[in-house]
Amino acid sequence: MGEQRLLWVASEHGRAAPELHAAQKLAAQGVEVWSLDLVNAFFLPQLPGSMDDVPVQDLTDWLQLAQDGGKRVTVLAVARAAVPVLRAAARLDPGRRNRLCVLLMYPNLYTVAEPLAEPAYLEVGDLSGLRVRVLQPRRSAATPWLPGLLDHLALHGAAVSRVILENLREGYWARETPTEFEVAESQRMDAMLLRELDTWRCA
Amino acid sequence: MNRVLMILVAGLFLAAGAKAAGFEARASLPAPALEAQDLKGAPKTLADYRGKVVLLNFWASWCPPCLREMPSMERLREKMAGRPLEIVAVDSAETPEEVSAYLSRMQLGFPVLLDPDGSNTRRWKIFALPTSFLLDAEGRVRYVLTGPTEWDEGEALQVIDSLLAELTSSAK
Repeated sequence: MGEQRLLWVASEHGRAAPELHAAQKLAAQGVEVWSLDLVNAFFLPQLPGSMDDVPVQDLTDWLQLAQDGGKRVTVLAVARAAVPVLRAAARLDPGRRNRLCVLLMYPNLYTVAEPLAEPAYLEVGDLSGLRVRVLQPRRSAATPWLPGLLDHLALHGAAVSRVILENLREGYWARETPTEFEVAESQRMDAMLLRELDTWRCA
Repeated sequence: MNRVLMILVAGLFLAAGAKAAGFEARASLPAPALEAQDLKGAPKTLADYRGKVVLLNFWASWCPPCLREMPSMERLREKMAGRPLEIVAVDSAETPEEVSAYLSRMQLGFPVLLDPDGSNTRRWKIFALPTSFLLDAEGRVRYVLTGPTEWDEGEALQVIDSLLAELTSSAK
């Protein structure tokens, strides 16, 4: 195995087959992948709010276990799974948090997101020293709100950056009616993630 | 040896039920500013539609529910011909080329406005697409709907009729 360990935390919709395929392809290229499906692991309904109910200490213990091997650890959290992952990272001691890298795929951190009302975000705790990169599909209602979300993370102490994924929608690998480009990108998800891991140079 | 470590726990799946969309009445809220352009580059604001009931719909060409409700908006336009109703579709944060590509496949008789930098989307606090607003003739927000509907029937038509009836009674 290589020196990189990727902790892939699926969204509130559970793990989709293309995610598993991408994880397998990453593993074949030397990235050790741990795949976590929180809704299945904790017997939760497939709803965004379920992610807010995940026992955070369990996830913190899991992050520590992943770091104990001495490998460079990056967490990839999809959609609302960003909430328990960030809260778990906030519970790490500062030294461990400094060594952790977090990729958030179209994170949903809203408590309130209603028309004509200012957005409100969930409290996630102290993220000082945590490096966070947001992967945001362009074709998403959340994209115009990305600057505010990055500000929220930075306000909690995270060092944030973002990458826009052009011509893609949220969950493009599991769409009912994907475009040809989305199908192709689903099959290249491993390459996209490898590229991010390499160019980000976080871990 | 490469391997994928997985936590595989049999799960209980509870599918999220589809919640019926409903119109949310608002207490005659002043509308945020609309500062958009049409496909020819002409600037448009809500003042251009003052004196009419306005259905203001935020959408995007990549959004399947948005596209599903578009034909019903066109049927509504035809059904309401001659009455003081304006249907205005604001495309959220796409390029003119992306919008034109869709409109070349779907002929619409109501104005489509552009919001390429998403500034109107943010000003109106749009977090999901489609999101629609019904404005009265004074430009106040009276109803909000998040999600798609069939605009030419049922609750949508009742709500629009009620706003048009207000306009008629105030003119008497």
